[in-house]
Amino acid sequence: MSEPSRGAAGAAIVAAALTLPGVAPPALAESAPERTVLSLGYLNYQDSQPGLKRITVNAPSLGLVVPFAGHWAIEANAVGDSVSGASPRWHSSISSASRMQDFRKAGDVRVTRYFERSSIALGTAFSSEHDYRSQAISALVKFTSDDNNTTWTYGAGRAWDVINPVNQVVVDARKNTTDLMAGVTQVLTPNDIAQVNLTWARGRGYFSDPYKVVDNRPDSRDQAAVLLRWNHFLESMQATLRTSYRYYGDSWSVRGHTFTAEWIQPLGHGWSVAPLARYHTQNAAGFYYDPYYDPVLGPPYPPGFLANPNGLYSPDARLSAFGAGTLSLKVANAIDRDTIVDASLSFYEQRSSWRIGGNGSPGIAPLSARFLQVGLTKAF
Amino acid sequence: MSHTRTEPSSPTRARLRPMLLAAGLTLLSLASGCSAPALGPLLGLEPVNPWEKGNLARPAMMFDTNSLETRYLEHIYTSREAASGGSGVGGGGCGCN
Repeated sequence: MSEPSRGAAGAAIVAAALTLPGVAPPALAESAPERTVLSLGYLNYQDSQPGLKRITVNAPSLGLVVPFAGHWAIEANAVGDSVSGASPRWHSSISSASRMQDFRKAGDVRVTRYFERSSIALGTAFSSEHDYRSQAISALVKFTSDDNNTTWTYGAGRAWDVINPVNQVVVDARKNTTDLMAGVTQVLTPNDIAQVNLTWARGRGYFSDPYKVVDNRPDSRDQAAVLLRWNHFLESMQATLRTSYRYYGDSWSVRGHTFTAEWIQPLGHGWSVAPLARYHTQNAAGFYYDPYYDPVLGPPYPPGFLANPNGLYSPDARLSAFGAGTLSLKVANAIDRDTIVDASLSFYEQRSSWRIGGNGSPGIAPLSARFLQVGLTKAF
Repeated sequence: MSHTRTEPSSPTRARLRPMLLAAGLTLLSLASGCSAPALGPLLGLEPVNPWEKGNLARPAMMFDTNSLETRYLEHIYTSREAASGGSGVGGGGCGCN
């Protein structure tokens, strides 16, 4: 059989298969899920810097998607984070590290109503630690074009956070955030699909880290991000390349660029492997100060602190200039038609010298992290 | 003793009006089944037909393939880097150490 006629026969088979109930491709069509899906996950996270084992997180999670009444679906997720370890109170100073232990409970519920070419989802989320509570609501609307090749997405959310640190630096401090989203997903070819998302968030309230010494941040933060994603299917290898780029900017003068590439390779008999690489680079927030301290007060006070003790300062290394890389490998196995188990191991490293587009912040120790995830997904 | 029902103040109503209008228009467009504009013709793309979407329907080609895994990763990176956002709305905050 010649190549063109094989292609035509293949298209005919796919077209015939699409007429079977439940086989229509979900690509961009707004249709409710047909089956209940249960997901179980477990994360073990550990990070460290030279000479200091920092934070350990163990987090089991549960996810459930249940279709009902033909055009509806409810999705619920829950996670419990057991967090323990040590965290520097300024920069990456080992001597200043304070011990901590916490348990975080978080969950969300979203109800979606599907129409012929659109859907609307309303959701709520909460997160609770002994010193931090957050509640959020959201709405997400999707519209799909007549040819099912373009989907427009619009979203809005609002979060209310309350902060009560154990050291009582503040009591019942509030932070409220409004976020908006607009996005478009477009089928480019039978093997390519792309997405552009714009998100914008405006936060007002308490943004400082109460456990960092000399941490006084602005009481507002406006954030914007542009996310570009492109997925490509390679017929010759039956593999998928998933790529993304995100530009980030905020009112604290932080600018960031994040690149991700993942290769998903089926191996046969239900097995697949997926190596992933991620790179992130950012500059420092305008009020971050390098670890050079006041000659009179000493660490952690920045030079000239006494002349302006109420100024904006932060010694939080997360707001410094650095580059960060992640390498990970995921292995998945479809045990049967309805059950998939997977495991992934990731290594993350954050270094000042890895920043691209400028100099990294001086005097900050590298941060290394290792995270292991295992998951099980079953459809009923 | 008489009880007087108080109406929302004018500034409150003024703030609510555009939100209610947007919500009403959204619900109307959803209920009427109106479709969204196709972007492909503007970009000069050949339309992809339903019978050509077998590969696009593969789970690996979806943008949100595993909700729990995605949440873990976003939480880790938001806790360790200054940048966030781009993929959704309405997530709860945390006092991440």
